[in-house]
Amino acid sequence: MTRLRLSWLGALAVLVVALTIGSHGAGKPETPTRRAMRLAADFRCPTCRDLSAAQSDAETAKTMRARILDLVRQGRTDRAIRAEIVSRYGSDILLKPPASGVAGLVWALPVAAFVVAVAGLGFAFRRWRSRSTRSPTDDDRRLVEAALR
Amino acid sequence: MTSPIDARDLPTRRRTGVWVAVVIATVMVAFVAVLATRPSAADRQAESPLLGRPAPALIGTAVDGSKVDVSSLRGKFVLVNFFATWCVPCLQEHPELVRFAQRHQASGDATVVGVVFNDSMSSVRKYVSDKGVIWPVVSDPGGNIAFDYGVRGPPESFLIDRAGNVVSKIIGTVRADALDRLISQAKARGL
Amino acid sequence: MSAVLGSGAVVLGLVASLLGIVTIGFGLRRRDTRLLSAGRTYAWVVLAAALMATGAMELALLRHDFTLKYVADNGSRSTPLLFTTTGMWSALEGSILLWALVLSGYLTVMVRHFRDRVADPLVGWATLTVFVVSAFFFGLMAGPANPFRLVSGATPSDGPGPNPLLQNHPLVAFHPPLLYLGYVGFTIPFAFAVAALVTGRLGEGWLVETRRWTLFAWGFLTLGIVLGAWWSYEVLGWGGYWAWDPVENASFIPWLTATAYVHSVMVQERRGMLRIWNLSLLLATFSLTILGTFLTRSGVLDSVHAFTESTIGPLILGFFGLIVAVSIVLIGWRADRLRSPGTIDSPASREGAFLANNVLFAAFAFIVLLGTVFPLLAEAINGDRISVGGPYFNRMTGPVGFTLLFLMAIAPALPWRKASGELLSKRLIWPAWSAAGVVALCALAGLRGFVPLLAFALGGFAGGAAVRQLVLSARRQGWRGLVGRANGGMIVHLGVVLVAVAFAASHAYAHSKEFTLRPGQSAELAGHHVTYLDTRTEQQRNKTSISARVRVDGGKVYAPALQRFPFATQAIGSPSVKTGWRDDVYLTLVSAPDATTGETTAVIGVLIQPMMMWLWLGGGLMGVGTFLAAWPGRRRRLPTAPASEPVQELAGVRS
Repeated sequence: MTRLRLSWLGALAVLVVALTIGSHGAGKPETPTRRAMRLAADFRCPTCRDLSAAQSDAETAKTMRARILDLVRQGRTDRAIRAEIVSRYGSDILLKPPASGVAGLVWALPVAAFVVAVAGLGFAFRRWRSRSTRSPTDDDRRLVEAALR
Repeated sequence: MTSPIDARDLPTRRRTGVWVAVVIATVMVAFVAVLATRPSAADRQAESPLLGRPAPALIGTAVDGSKVDVSSLRGKFVLVNFFATWCVPCLQEHPELVRFAQRHQASGDATVVGVVFNDSMSSVRKYVSDKGVIWPVVSDPGGNIAFDYGVRGPPESFLIDRAGNVVSKIIGTVRADALDRLISQAKARGL
Repeated sequence: MSAVLGSGAVVLGLVASLLGIVTIGFGLRRRDTRLLSAGRTYAWVVLAAALMATGAMELALLRHDFTLKYVADNGSRSTPLLFTTTGMWSALEGSILLWALVLSGYLTVMVRHFRDRVADPLVGWATLTVFVVSAFFFGLMAGPANPFRLVSGATPSDGPGPNPLLQNHPLVAFHPPLLYLGYVGFTIPFAFAVAALVTGRLGEGWLVETRRWTLFAWGFLTLGIVLGAWWSYEVLGWGGYWAWDPVENASFIPWLTATAYVHSVMVQERRGMLRIWNLSLLLATFSLTILGTFLTRSGVLDSVHAFTESTIGPLILGFFGLIVAVSIVLIGWRADRLRSPGTIDSPASREGAFLANNVLFAAFAFIVLLGTVFPLLAEAINGDRISVGGPYFNRMTGPVGFTLLFLMAIAPALPWRKASGELLSKRLIWPAWSAAGVVALCALAGLRGFVPLLAFALGGFAGGAAVRQLVLSARRQGWRGLVGRANGGMIVHLGVVLVAVAFAASHAYAHSKEFTLRPGQSAELAGHHVTYLDTRTEQQRNKTSISARVRVDGGKVYAPALQRFPFATQAIGSPSVKTGWRDDVYLTLVSAPDATTGETTAVIGVLIQPMMMWLWLGGGLMGVGTFLAAWPGRRRRLPTAPASEPVQELAGVRS
């Protein structure tokens, strides 16, 4: 068993080291163009149904990307840029609903459902375990005896 | 044959079952009711964050080469109409726009400014000359005017009051009577 | 002529379905086998009606019979033959007709398959349920969604043809039919579930009957979804394959519940547990296919599939409500018979893993459903207009997906009833090393980013576990070790791993850029070399096509194009893709040189999409695995029926 345990430790060590190395070093500084693309990915292309302004090739998407790049070059913050675009198109131009208000429900409900699900599972497991460890009562013994007679 | 252990649980089991069923049923009924009362996507009017605020600047070159600046039209109601020659509802609303423009040409209290949305200037020039468009049609290379106004797709029209603020946004075809109503309502509010 | 034939066939199908309902209903009530047999024959009439209606529609399309409104709206003299034929399902009414055709086919196969058990009320109730569904769809066609309606006014001489997006690629001939074979296929297991609830025969018999049906329906639905993704990639030109579009979601949500079901039934077969879960999942899957049809067809949400608004929306929604109501009432009524004889002894067991699996898939389905309908709900509550798009779905379903991958790795190694830590650690050591190895290789190769690397690690873990099972099985049984439910399932798991890994890679490591190039000029992106050669214009029967010829990596020439259809509003981009093992070079023509202004430069969009080939391979592997899983294995002894199964009805049948 010790050899197995060592093997597990080895595998986990390699995994953790590789993941750590892999998580860093992606630190290429964000150029304005990259930053503009990243921000554009949060907005819906105005004339499309689901594509982001970063993905779509529609004219309106290209305009949006150009304007975002302008705002980035002007030195505005991410939040200011988002607010600027929402002030023109309305809040449904954002692909991710805001986290407050009614829209916040779409974030909160899955988390709540997850908590309920885990709690339900835990409760069910505990009930099953207690049921399987219950021992017969005297009533049960009498019932069995009566049936065997 | 039920054992005493399970018999104790049976009424509880049925009761929980009924409760769960009732909860799910209520949720489903509410869900179905909501879905059933939604108008289809095409009919939904969007609110615009521009309403009640100063209209974004609209400066450009018209098809005939003249310079157009909407801020110079202050004192009149301005209907900014985003259109394209490939857009079927735009073609359908054109007669209504003509009617609206002619009606207010005499009184001089309202005018129309057209903005090209995502179209080739050669098609637009042909359209303007064929259809006899009597209001300035501004080109929008780069789509910046459409961006400033938050236009999703043609036809979209914005009614700007005499002080230069956006009074209403209309998505889809406009009708001259409806526009007149909007103008008189705005006038009544002193705009 | 086609109109008369078609309308008549639709009415015939409706009448036959209704007669089937009535006859079988009486046959069940009076326990009269003669009536039950008679009811069966109506299935053949329904099939004949569907075939006739389909034939009439295809005939009308092929002969360009523009007196029919459907042909006038969707047909054209200049459309190539293939797309004229597939035009049958290019719009609303035709797709209902396709649904009815597939349903009648399934109904007939079911009736024939169970012909020896005509007297069995279980089979009777199931057939009745399918007749009810069939009556609904034929009723839709007889009423608001009539494909054979005539044009009002003058007959046009030509039509606009199908939507240009549906004329671009031969896949349009496969994606809808396969998808429907899946969607509609779930009607049969659903019918049996309803029958089991109604008759109270909730033992494992009905499950075993319908196991293969469910597997086939699931397999077709999987293939249909994968082909839809492929079509999106090849045709739509945005370089992606999954946009969390409402219609994509509408097909995905029932797939999720169906996947949970095909796993969870194993627990019921073996230990008689999780019955309410299984019934609920099956009933939910079918209800969700109907809800999905509503979301797609009613115009309530925009999409490339939402052809037109129509009054049939409320009808489909009503049908959905009816199904859900009936399901809840039935389960509530029979709740006492659904007690399981056993319990789950330990969370660390195969049963525990399947239960967790159910919960996770249900959560997944809930999240996707919530995100899809939330804009409607939010607007109803306080008029807010919000969008829920790709970023939301990716962020919320990501953790669920990762957990499912983890579960996929450990579940095959978990024994039934109870697992010991030692057993697990022995069985999972090789998969653990494969996970570590995969991540190490990726990190060494220079790939960065925690989320994609984690995805690769979990993929390696799950893939390793699946391969281990297959190797053990093949060692024991030779080639037979690759067929049968468990082994086919492992192959499907491998396919899922490939898809998951490719999904993670394409979201993390794609590179895209637009290049403005003069003829002869080249550009580089992510290790690939593209050279713009020239532009050609081509006039075809149904479209004008401007294509830019681009040489990729010094090899073949690819031709992304812009296509203009006569009645369409804008030019449709047609991408050209160089597929490779490591990545795809995805080319689009963003703007062509404008001869009128003397411009010679073209703007070419280049997207390097990693691991796309693996994605399609994964999808194919899932299909192959499903086929292998359905392979009849050696006859297994059925587990003894649990104690709570009621005594079966015998001899109460008059003959």
